[in-house]
Amino acid sequence: MATPSESDRTEQIITLFLHKALHAVLASRIPHLHLSAPRPASASARDRWFHLALGDLPAQIGHHGAVMDPLVVDILLTPRGDTDDPTGSPEAVVERWTAQCVPPSPWSAAAPHHPHDGSWHRKTYKKSIILLRSLYALLRLLPAHRIFRLLCSSSQPYNYDLSYRISSFVAPFSRAEEAELKQYSFAPVETLFGQLVVSVQHRPSLANFNLEVSSIPPMIITDYVGSPAADPMRPFPSSLPERVSRPIMHQYPPTGIRTSAAPSFDRPHSWNSTPLAHHPLSSASGAPVSEIGFLLPDHYGHLVPNQRPMGERKGSSGYNELKLSPPLSTSASPSPPTRGGDSPQSRFHLETAPVSIPTGKSQHRSPNLSDPFKSLLPPPSPRSTRADPYCQESPLRSRSFRKSEGSNLGDVCSNVHIYAAHKGHKDGRDDSGRFSALSSGGSPRYGFSRSSSRLSIQDDLDDGDFSYPFAVDDVDTSDSQARSFDGKEAPEDTLSHKSPEYGSSHKSQEAEVGILVHMLKTAAPLRQGQGSLLSSESNAEVSMSSSVMSRKTCDALEELQSYKELKNLLLSKSKSGSLDSVKQRRE
Amino acid sequence: MNCETCQLKELVLEPPEIREVLRCILHTILFHRALGLVRPKDVECELFDITYVQCEDHELEKKIDEKINQFIGWVEKHPNRKSQVCISFYEVKNKHATWFGNKIERFYWEQWYINLHIISPKPHGKSHNTKAHVVTGENAFEGSNSRCAALESSLREVLFQIIKFVNEKKDHIPPLQNSEIVSFPYEISTPR
Repeated sequence: MATPSESDRTEQIITLFLHKALHAVLASRIPHLHLSAPRPASASARDRWFHLALGDLPAQIGHHGAVMDPLVVDILLTPRGDTDDPTGSPEAVVERWTAQCVPPSPWSAAAPHHPHDGSWHRKTYKKSIILLRSLYALLRLLPAHRIFRLLCSSSQPYNYDLSYRISSFVAPFSRAEEAELKQYSFAPVETLFGQLVVSVQHRPSLANFNLEVSSIPPMIITDYVGSPAADPMRPFPSSLPERVSRPIMHQYPPTGIRTSAAPSFDRPHSWNSTPLAHHPLSSASGAPVSEIGFLLPDHYGHLVPNQRPMGERKGSSGYNELKLSPPLSTSASPSPPTRGGDSPQSRFHLETAPVSIPTGKSQHRSPNLSDPFKSLLPPPSPRSTRADPYCQESPLRSRSFRKSEGSNLGDVCSNVHIYAAHKGHKDGRDDSGRFSALSSGGSPRYGFSRSSSRLSIQDDLDDGDFSYPFAVDDVDTSDSQARSFDGKEAPEDTLSHKSPEYGSSHKSQEAEVGILVHMLKTAAPLRQGQGSLLSSESNAEVSMSSSVMSRKTCDALEELQSYKELKNLLLSKSKSGSLDSVKQRRE
Repeated sequence: MNCETCQLKELVLEPPEIREVLRCILHTILFHRALGLVRPKDVECELFDITYVQCEDHELEKKIDEKINQFIGWVEKHPNRKSQVCISFYEVKNKHATWFGNKIERFYWEQWYINLHIISPKPHGKSHNTKAHVVTGENAFEGSNSRCAALESSLREVLFQIIKFVNEKKDHIPPLQNSEIVSFPYEISTPR
């Protein structure tokens, strides 16, 4: 009876033999395994088994069955190219290698004599070495090896490829298939558990497979947008064939090719270059607006598209805010996902691309909007905690950007409703906090939707320097004190409070405009999901700001009245004075 | 311990093919008998569509090439003859110390006989008729191709024969002493 160590050793030999046999077969038949297999200078401990250093197979490839489970490796000749072509030939098994330890049959008369001196496993090991060498040599003599050599050595793809299938139990070949195959069986090796048997069924000739260089036409990207020639800064897709079967990740696809990874591409198009051209504070520059418009799609690339209306989004996170943005666009199709991260190419492209905002269909944008938000973000606020190359501004710079952005945002279409997607996204606050809501990694700050003509923007809560995009310091410097309060106001509440205040007093058209501007300047961002405490605080702030505004207006009106009275007084005095003089002359 | 002998199928070849054929056969035999740790190396024949395996051992390759050169030299002196190249594996035992020195005894446990029939290429017959000469040349070319194809097929059969023999006969192989030693002691014998 064999000792436990003999059994363990034998089991180890059988298990490792099966693994090594599998390795030898795959390394001699599968081109990519053969080419990628590392050949270290010195064989590892596992590789030294059976004194045949073959290198290492990928860890996931191996014989994972039990020691007595057969190992069946099918070598398949798989046609390349259009798999849907009905005229193409299916894959064919060109070789089937089988290795297993066959236990002795219980009715066998002559039982093998196993010496009890512990030398049995050494003999088994020695014979296994020879068996493995024979297997290795035979692999090179079979017809499939010629195809393997051809595929390995040729740089051009062929119309066939060699693949494999590993299993423990497979359905036997049919009679017709067996008739086409030849079988070769190696002499078995006696082990403690039975006979170690290796055999192969192979096709004697592979002339039926017309192996030739693949004639597959070059893959054409049907949704190709732009070209490196048009935009040399934009990286060209590295692998064309890979892009045929899946959406172009770095480009905005044309109409019809949509992904579900991002909301509508059309949102930025809703930013018209001159939507508020009539606005006194609007400027001719549309670039920042377009930049802002471009900011959105990239961030959408990080979001799951959701076309729920804005009303449901209140109080949701900034990401949810972005999901609301699609209502801006007439098209319900999402924009394609774009790469995250900063990209100078995207910045280059976005900063130079003209802005046009059609309705409905997506635009062909820069294919490399990896992080247009980042690239187009204004200098960040001093509180920016991110190592963002773009977020390196000083308060002064932020104010100047604020100014320009505000003036450009004055051009926003009147039916654009800008929401501040605040929702306490601290990581989003590291951006400038302006229209950089859709920073590359942080939460979006602004959502865009089509609603009323009012523009409400909520600033970054922690950024007291930035208040609103419409800040125009040279126009109304007296409002600067109100900005510190305004940044924390809910614009809608502010507006709702303000309207009755203004309606009670007589004002000229100019005053109305001035009031409107002031309202916009001091509009507080929406607070969503901040909680009841925060909302109550915002309400208090809103009322305070509205009272301040009321007082200012009242003061102005009073002042106006006083000036009128003064004027009347002066006029009356002048008249009376003139009458006295006339009387004196007569006398 | 008995000595197992294997007579390989006779191969008909021309002198330029000797080196390639002998390398293929000798390396295949040694790959199955050099049971020390080896890193196999695939070698593709230049004259035939056959891939055989070598042990990556420079000493082995050097010794084989020396013996092949020796045999080619003998063939040049004795053309158009049948000959044998023998490779034997042995054990060194019983070093008897004698008055005249140490006697080293070899016990051969396996011998392989490579049977070769070297034929000299027939010179093309001279003909005044140009057309006949061209036809003769074409026939000779086709004959040479068929002979090469036959040789390749025979060589492939010999390799299969080697694999079959090494698998069927294993009990006579001595135990492995050291994995660092590439091969059992062997010698290659050529006609003299």
